Amino acid sequence: MEESNISSSTSSSIVPIPKTRERKAMKEAKKKKKPESSTGVSSDVPISSLGAAFVHLITGLSLAVGFWVARNKLSVDLVSDPSLTLFLLWSIEFPAVGLKMLAFLVLLSALLIYESYFRALGRSILGLISGAFMNTLGAVALGAPIGMQYLPKTIHWSFLMSVFTFVPATAVFGASWTDWHRVFASMKTSGNTEYMILVPAYGAIIGGWFGAWPMPLDWERPWQEWPICVCYGAIGGYVVGLINEFHFVLTFDLIARLREDNRAEFLLA
Amino acid sequence: METYLKRKKWVAIGFLLIHSVAILIFTRGFLLTRTELPFHSTCSDVSRSPCLASSLPNHDSNSVHGSKQNQPKCWTKPVVDRVVIIVLDALRIDFVAPSAFFPEAKPWMDKLTILQMLAFANESSAKIFKAFADPPTTSLQRLKGLTTGGLPTFIDVGNSFGAPVIVEDNFINQLVLNGKRLVMMGDDTWTQLFPNQFQKSYPFPSFNVKDLDTVDNGCIEHLFPTLYEDDWDVLIAHFLGVDHAGHIYGVDSVPMIKKLEQYNSVLEKVIDILESQARPGGLHESTMLIVMGDHGQTLNGDHGGGTAEEVETAMFAMSTKKHTTPVPPEFDTASCRQNSDGKQICISSIEQLDFAATLSALLGISYPFGSIGHVNPELYALGSNKWNLDDFELGNFGAKSAVKEWMENYVNVLCVNAWQVKRYIDVYSNSSVVGFSSDDMSRISDLYSAAEQSWSKSVKHILMDSNGDENSTKISALKDQIAAYLSFFSSVVELARSKWTEFNLNLMITGFAILVISLILQSLAIFHGDKTYAVDSWLSTGAAFTLFIVLIRASSFLSNSYILEEGKVANFLLATTGLIRLRYSVMRKTMRKEGVIFLAMVSVLRVSIDIGLTKQAATSQFMSSSPSWMLGITPDHPALTYATELAPILSVFILICVLYLAVARTPNEGLWKYVTVGSMISYFLIALLWASESDIFGLDGLLDVTGGRNRIPQTVYVIALVQLFVLASARMFCAGNDKNWAIRTVALVSACSSPVILLSGKQGSMLALAYLLAGYCIMRLEGVERRSKSDGQKNFSKLNPLSVVQWTLLSICMFFASGHWCAFDGLRYGAAFVGFDEFVLIRQAILLTIETFGFSIILSVFGLPLLIPIRSQTPQAHGEKRHLLFQMYMLYGVISATTVAATILCVTIHRRHLMVWGLFAPKFVFDVVGLILTDLLICLASAYYL
Repeated sequence: MEESNISSSTSSSIVPIPKTRERKAMKEAKKKKKPESSTGVSSDVPISSLGAAFVHLITGLSLAVGFWVARNKLSVDLVSDPSLTLFLLWSIEFPAVGLKMLAFLVLLSALLIYESYFRALGRSILGLISGAFMNTLGAVALGAPIGMQYLPKTIHWSFLMSVFTFVPATAVFGASWTDWHRVFASMKTSGNTEYMILVPAYGAIIGGWFGAWPMPLDWERPWQEWPICVCYGAIGGYVVGLINEFHFVLTFDLIARLREDNRAEFLLA
Repeated sequence: METYLKRKKWVAIGFLLIHSVAILIFTRGFLLTRTELPFHSTCSDVSRSPCLASSLPNHDSNSVHGSKQNQPKCWTKPVVDRVVIIVLDALRIDFVAPSAFFPEAKPWMDKLTILQMLAFANESSAKIFKAFADPPTTSLQRLKGLTTGGLPTFIDVGNSFGAPVIVEDNFINQLVLNGKRLVMMGDDTWTQLFPNQFQKSYPFPSFNVKDLDTVDNGCIEHLFPTLYEDDWDVLIAHFLGVDHAGHIYGVDSVPMIKKLEQYNSVLEKVIDILESQARPGGLHESTMLIVMGDHGQTLNGDHGGGTAEEVETAMFAMSTKKHTTPVPPEFDTASCRQNSDGKQICISSIEQLDFAATLSALLGISYPFGSIGHVNPELYALGSNKWNLDDFELGNFGAKSAVKEWMENYVNVLCVNAWQVKRYIDVYSNSSVVGFSSDDMSRISDLYSAAEQSWSKSVKHILMDSNGDENSTKISALKDQIAAYLSFFSSVVELARSKWTEFNLNLMITGFAILVISLILQSLAIFHGDKTYAVDSWLSTGAAFTLFIVLIRASSFLSNSYILEEGKVANFLLATTGLIRLRYSVMRKTMRKEGVIFLAMVSVLRVSIDIGLTKQAATSQFMSSSPSWMLGITPDHPALTYATELAPILSVFILICVLYLAVARTPNEGLWKYVTVGSMISYFLIALLWASESDIFGLDGLLDVTGGRNRIPQTVYVIALVQLFVLASARMFCAGNDKNWAIRTVALVSACSSPVILLSGKQGSMLALAYLLAGYCIMRLEGVERRSKSDGQKNFSKLNPLSVVQWTLLSICMFFASGHWCAFDGLRYGAAFVGFDEFVLIRQAILLTIETFGFSIILSVFGLPLLIPIRSQTPQAHGEKRHLLFQMYMLYGVISATTVAATILCVTIHRRHLMVWGLFAPKFVFDVVGLILTDLLICLASAYYL
């Protein structure tokens, strides 16, 4: 089921769309040469809750580390210097997320060869940049300020959002348009890895959306500036997503185990 | 089916009527109106009053100071020569009154010690008053109230609509008429209100709230030298520091206390100067100093509403003469406390309404025509010791005589005053559209005639009587007369307040309730005859999302900040729906291009909204502007100039091509086609007009050929009118062959669009293009959520609420993107004169309405049928489509009415809010006008389409 590539996906749509029009398709087209790299994932093996807890600790902790470094080492925070803080956050969070996904890949499948690590790394970096681009466009459509003085903040914010949303997916799916399509558009996850990608990403987006609400209010607080409260919202949504996902992974694990038990009983009977 | 749909046309008219009634009732309770009268008082008027033409002829004729008068008398005899008015903006009563009057001493109290010291000294000729302001307690309205002696409302219907200049008769105007010389320094609001009246003025900008010192320092710099000059009679100095400190830091703050201490030292110095010149023959022999606030403020520094903190302000009055007349205890309003030393200290009270009349009486000029205040006895007494200064030495009269003399004087002043107020009330009631009720008028007339009869019968003779003997019956007759006048005044003021300053909450709630009921009825009308609607599970989630968006937008109106940035909020929600649609289109693997184009158009509109917001911030008092968002291209770069000249004309030609394609692709439908061709001609004419106006095409001679720059716009209007006439008559006389919706809609929308584009100026064509593209995307994306799920053919006639919401949000964005905002200074008056040079009210008002609501309501309502996807042409499908269109119009109406209901709820809640007159009321007016227009157009559209 995974052999479909870009041509099959577009031809299956009702109205044919030129590839250049669609940014996701563009990104996909760049990586067309290695569509096989994503295949192993969806054949899902339930991972142990210990492993899940470990990788969650990585991403959660790295956010905290980012804030700690910003506050204690450089004595800045989101309010006083949003650009620098955001840069710190995403540059610390990016390896963490990459590491988490790699850990999953390792935990999940033995299909990965050494070469794939580098590929996954390259994919993540490409995903980071293209994701940042997409996030910038989305933010501008929703009304983010477009002045020159906001440009660095917007860029760093988009990188952080990209780390939350695009990087995990690109690390795992690569250019497989069908996987992207299935997970993000149709929200049909097959197994907890994809759930782990989907839920925090949507959490970050929805959190950021709600985080924009206080911006027009006339409280004249410094955190109402773009992109500070949106960042808080996105980070909050991401963390909620992580917790929810962690919870889900545990129960999913449990359900899977129960189901296996049932099947065993059924087979026994 | 036919009769069923015929009935539906009446439904739209029914909702128009219900909404009109609801809004009318609410408006009667909320928008208090008062008519400004153009009349002015003159000195000679007083001969028509029953009062004595000059005060106290019997006493004055043989006394020495009658000849001391060097100015001609007007209505009453002047008692002071010069007045120094120092206005301290937002002066709370507890800044001035001693802390003993308040339950608890706070750090900001007892800072203006010099005023307290003077007021409570023995034998003092100074007094502290608690002054009551009338809401709205904003500086501009208050200054207007203080000088006219009236009660300004939000809508003072008069000639000065839009400009703040006071055209009503007022104290300042009377001063000028009577040859007094005025000097003003400080807040530049005064020079906006009175552009020509001041002989000398030193205005300083008042809008920068963060600047605590510029205005004050400017005032101080000019105040002290001016006090030594003799070329003025009335000096006004308006300090803003306390108001600004309150807005920024609040009352309980260090800057506020510093400001108060600074004022104390300034006032000390002013009083020193005045007293040093107060000797007989000196500059300030007979000068009155008044230190007053225009309104109070809350502890947060807000003002504008009607809470006690905001309306209670202070007034300090001091005469440079000694030995002021004591006021008889009947008319004394003083309330007294023991201070910490055990000394009795008293402060009196005064209405700001009475300020204009009292000052006019003190200076001996005619009272402003529209003043409804009365001469305050205590303030008047402070100045009125001029004549008894000599009598004091005579000994045989003594204090009692002084009181009697003061009363004789005062009763005559009140007589003139009562006559003037009665005259105003009569004239107002006759000339105003919404005058007073006859019950109220007769009650007031009774009071007045009773007072006047007793005046003519007895009191006048007492005053005329020159024998001067002291008997208590005369004194009590005078007191009764004064009391009669005062009760007349108080009933007039009570009536005026109830008419001009008090909201009628019952009417407001009734109006709101009717609107909510109509909202429920209209929602039911959507679902009427559509039983399967609720069953469709996806549509329910779609409806829930729609409801969510509409409710977010509606509840955003509860905060002033969201109203200020309403365009951004609408854009945010529109982009959100666009993203949701894009997600669905990606999910269904169809229409992705349209989804992306839609978001791109939303981004274009948001840039346009941002530009509009910077324009709004430049004039709004509530917004801070952030101008530096531009991308670093200087505005006069040649490439940019060419682009701005070329792009509109290019977009017009694209629009012509689009229309041509629309016409060419439809099968032969003669009439509609010719109408559309008419629009193409209009578009071409618009392009021609713009090309000839800009200087890069070398078409300057064209205007001369075509006969002036008004010819082309007039032609466009005529073409549009002819088109509309043809469409209406075609609809009336050949109702049979109207199966093709698209071409009919295109014909109507294009006919309306050409004047809209023309009036909107050069941005109009580009915005129309963006609107067209975004609307096309909405149409294409309509039903993207369900197409793959169920057979499109079967299901297409189901209402898709998300599309209609997107369409309304898009039109709201268009309102803001075309550079409008919900304030009267956001109206583009220039548009009313496109094609016409002279002003005709109805014609220019129609043009202004078309310009303001053209994109957001007119094109939006008429273009709604374009959202129905064109597919089936069978007669049965046609009937379904008509039903669907009816539902869409009802839904459109519900969405508009929901936002208006939210606005109405918001102004009801915030009716005493700081920004109610600056922000909420204009928003209310725009929304209400928009709703009525929407309802009206829905009626017309359903008559045309259904």
